[in-house]
Amino acid sequence: MTSNLMEADGTIPVFAGTHVPQLRLPSSVRLEVMNTNGAHTPDATFVETEIISNDEIAPEHYLMRVRSEALANGKPGQFGVIRPGAATDVHPILPRPMAVYQYDTAAGTADFVYRVVGYGTAAMAQRRAGDIVEIVGPVGRPFPVADDANGILIVGRGIGVCSLTTLIDAARHRNTEIYAVFSARNKDVVLGKDLIKKARGNALYVDDADGSSDVRNVEPWISEIIESGRVQQAYVCGSNRLIELTTRLAAPADVETYVSLEAHMACGLGYCHSCATGAFGESAESPLVCRDGPVFRCHPAGVTV
Amino acid sequence: MAVQDTETDSRLAVDLGAGLTLKNPVMPASGCFGPEMGTLFNLGQLGALVPKTIFYGERAGNPAPRTAESPAGMLNSIGIPSRGVEHFLTELLPEYTKYDSPVIVSIGGLGIEEYDRLAERLNGEPGVAGLEVNISCPNLEAGGMEIGASPANVERVVRGVSDRFDGPVIAKLTPNITNIADIAQASEQGGATAISAINTLSGMVIDVDNQRTVTGTMTGGVSGPAIRPIAVRMVWQVCAAVSLPVVGIGGITSTKDALEFILAGATAIAVGTANFTRPTTMLDVIEGLNTYVQTHRLSSINDIRGQLEEGMRVAIEPPRPATPVAGRTD
Repeated sequence: MTSNLMEADGTIPVFAGTHVPQLRLPSSVRLEVMNTNGAHTPDATFVETEIISNDEIAPEHYLMRVRSEALANGKPGQFGVIRPGAATDVHPILPRPMAVYQYDTAAGTADFVYRVVGYGTAAMAQRRAGDIVEIVGPVGRPFPVADDANGILIVGRGIGVCSLTTLIDAARHRNTEIYAVFSARNKDVVLGKDLIKKARGNALYVDDADGSSDVRNVEPWISEIIESGRVQQAYVCGSNRLIELTTRLAAPADVETYVSLEAHMACGLGYCHSCATGAFGESAESPLVCRDGPVFRCHPAGVTV
Repeated sequence: MAVQDTETDSRLAVDLGAGLTLKNPVMPASGCFGPEMGTLFNLGQLGALVPKTIFYGERAGNPAPRTAESPAGMLNSIGIPSRGVEHFLTELLPEYTKYDSPVIVSIGGLGIEEYDRLAERLNGEPGVAGLEVNISCPNLEAGGMEIGASPANVERVVRGVSDRFDGPVIAKLTPNITNIADIAQASEQGGATAISAINTLSGMVIDVDNQRTVTGTMTGGVSGPAIRPIAVRMVWQVCAAVSLPVVGIGGITSTKDALEFILAGATAIAVGTANFTRPTTMLDVIEGLNTYVQTHRLSSINDIRGQLEEGMRVAIEPPRPATPVAGRTD
């Protein structure tokens, strides 16, 4: 890779008129692959383990808890690649990448929260406590977490909140103050409230149903927190508007912003090359979401690093 | 914390010709495997290692999304991103040669000359146990199918590679042709020492809500259990048409699937899509074959190769014209 900056899709050349950008990122944001030595995820393990529980926690949303020391010791922002069905099923054939929602290192468990959107997640929702599930994980570059930060800002929307929630415990253990904006379609599906409450975080919960999720409503809250110097890092996932907003407000205050991206993938380790971030037309392949991400540093467009 | 090693029974050893002997007949299919898998288990347990196809120079691959799921299978249009042969030799090959399994390097090209150059460059390189000539990728802007579907071009490419590379040369065939036996025979005439079959079937998945294809290119290659019966039939045809060892590929997820290919005549088998579904599939198959030779008291897995009871045959390909068809140029 000649540059570790990746263009947002607004600047990606069109391929034979059929290019469908995988990542519809706002053109005002550029992403940087974080410098981490080695392309592999060294702690990835193939886990065949017991499902402890798999319950609906909100409409269409399920929490699957699995027993695994390897997964329980993952880092904030890492994910697992989960086979939706049983070992004898040949359909769905591909595993689904899912961020870890919460680790319990002491109990040796990891939680995944997913929304049923297709036949893969529908198959997952059919699995029962005691069933065996196959997972490759923990994989992916984690969110950088500073030990000396006074505070962090966490901005998530929809199921994207679940890629950020492992930051809550990480911050709590470092006595770092937590500020969060969690957005959703309606109040029933705002996820992660219990984790924020347990960590005594400061949160703004917004939704589309009452219009509170409007950027004009969220901006002053984020702006105030950033300008007052209370946070040193910002983490965002699940909404282009929020990625754009957070990056725009954070950059002038030198608050580092990180995003977690989602993509279709088959292996989760980097060898299938499915999850290229989309830049086409250069000689080198664009970064992969699984191996070079899913966490990337955000910069406003036009900034060179 | 890697998955426990599987002991290979010595009766699983197979000979792929031209001095290429494997401790067991199980290997990954090119494109569905990489050194990253070594974090999950010891790759030295495999019969051979087959990295993703390399090109001579660097190429980016196809636009995303590059994969789509299909019933009991998947469609891919990765487009073979490659860092080129020099990067492969210095950076990637050492990641494979640290294991106790021969490395079969898969080579591709947009034109015939690129295969020649790759064969020349790789000849004599320590750690390169053999070449697999990928003349069957359905996702390239040029080369690929144009070469792989023409017996004359296949013969020319394979001859170019075998003339320049002193070692095993495996031709990997496309199923996107009328009669795979013709292509297999052209490979044999070109000097191939083995055949691998099949690569993916050209296919298409449409997102009906958005009225566009799910992948970034219009078409892709279908793989997985959905194509297995087609692959078994084609391997059977190839085995009847040539006297070379064959690597059977297409939707293998279990020992039973692997045995289907061996009974159809394959000497070895490769696992592709199932590596994504369950990364330890290849180890499961090795263990299953261990059990098979033991419970069936075979002196070698080769004892059952091609041991298929003959049933009534029905015509599966159009009859060959007795004389060349006017205007046929291949």
